[in-house]
Amino acid sequence: MLTSLHIEGDSWLHRLPVRAKLLPLVALSILLFLSGSLPVQLTAFVISGGLYLSVGISWREALKRVGFVFFTIFFLAAVNLFFLPLSEVGVLTLRLLALVLFAAAVTATTTISAFMDEITVLLSPFERLGWVLAADVSLALGLVLRFVPDIFARYQAIREAHRARGLPVRPLTIIGPLIILTLKDADTIAAAIDARGFRRQ
Amino acid sequence: MNTRDLVLIALFAAIVVALGLIPPITLGFIPVPITAQSMGVMLAGCILGAKRGALAFLLFLLLVAIGLPVLSGGRGGLAVFAGPSGGFILGWVVATFVTGLIAQRFVREGQPELRQFIGFFLASIIGGIVVLYAIGMPWVSAITGTPLLAVATGSLAFLPGDLLKAAIATLAARAVFAGYPLLHVRA
Repeated sequence: MLTSLHIEGDSWLHRLPVRAKLLPLVALSILLFLSGSLPVQLTAFVISGGLYLSVGISWREALKRVGFVFFTIFFLAAVNLFFLPLSEVGVLTLRLLALVLFAAAVTATTTISAFMDEITVLLSPFERLGWVLAADVSLALGLVLRFVPDIFARYQAIREAHRARGLPVRPLTIIGPLIILTLKDADTIAAAIDARGFRRQ
Repeated sequence: MNTRDLVLIALFAAIVVALGLIPPITLGFIPVPITAQSMGVMLAGCILGAKRGALAFLLFLLLVAIGLPVLSGGRGGLAVFAGPSGGFILGWVVATFVTGLIAQRFVREGQPELRQFIGFFLASIIGGIVVLYAIGMPWVSAITGTPLLAVATGSLAFLPGDLLKAAIATLAARAVFAGYPLLHVRA
């Protein structure tokens, strides 16, 4: 149900450490927002697009992933044509397309565990301040992945219960029971976590 | 933070993910399909309160950022933050916090039912609509260069759906508040 957007592969983007991908992404976004030149944006767009397609993703899947974001970008570009000169619309649109493609390439070539390791590093200053424990963040992520299928199964059960009684399936009558039933488990789950000493408190 | 709060935050983030799996509903009189997931902001604030609600959404955004397709329609990854609606997505955390603050301030146990409904509805509208759009619209405008007025005019198409979501979230939040109150942090 929850499969990562990571694509198996061995491109050089796959082999780069996460930080060596995230820092260029940040740098590229700053650079592109400072630059108003069409050739710069076009170059970035071509390079990002090339990178994204070089990670071993099929055309179909590649388009599916960025399709919705592209749709909003093109829609706003069409609106912009009424307000701004063509060259400026070109700069604005290519800039967003380039950044989205680059970001999608980073996502496609990075595993969840690599991201989590990086997040642990990023959290370490806050950990020293005593604000958050990196282990808690990992635990919470694990809990989400563990419980999404359960919650969805519960949603389907409530929907079936509606049908069995001849009631129309409405969000209102489903969401209340779904949330109450799910959150009521919190005490049991918390007790189970504490009993196993996962958080060492 | 105690373990129970941590679990509540994780479970709510999981609920928001599950809401994204429910197919969107199209209503005849509203131009935009209604996704159950975007109600999550109002629900999280009104049910878990400011701090835990915002943390649940922060956790949800973390799932998006590390490449899980948890946004409705199976979207996810860093690309959604780079796109025009990135401001709305990041704004969810602040919007949930504000929704929670208002709900915690105005809704108490033992109040008449109607007052609780009004409190949740106001919280959902101010947090989930006003604050969210106050962050999301200037972001769209700044990033795409579209004049703010044009963005605001276009966003009006989403308003009827958002008001409907606020109404549904109000009723659901009040049902949860009556059945299993969590809004006010237990000592």
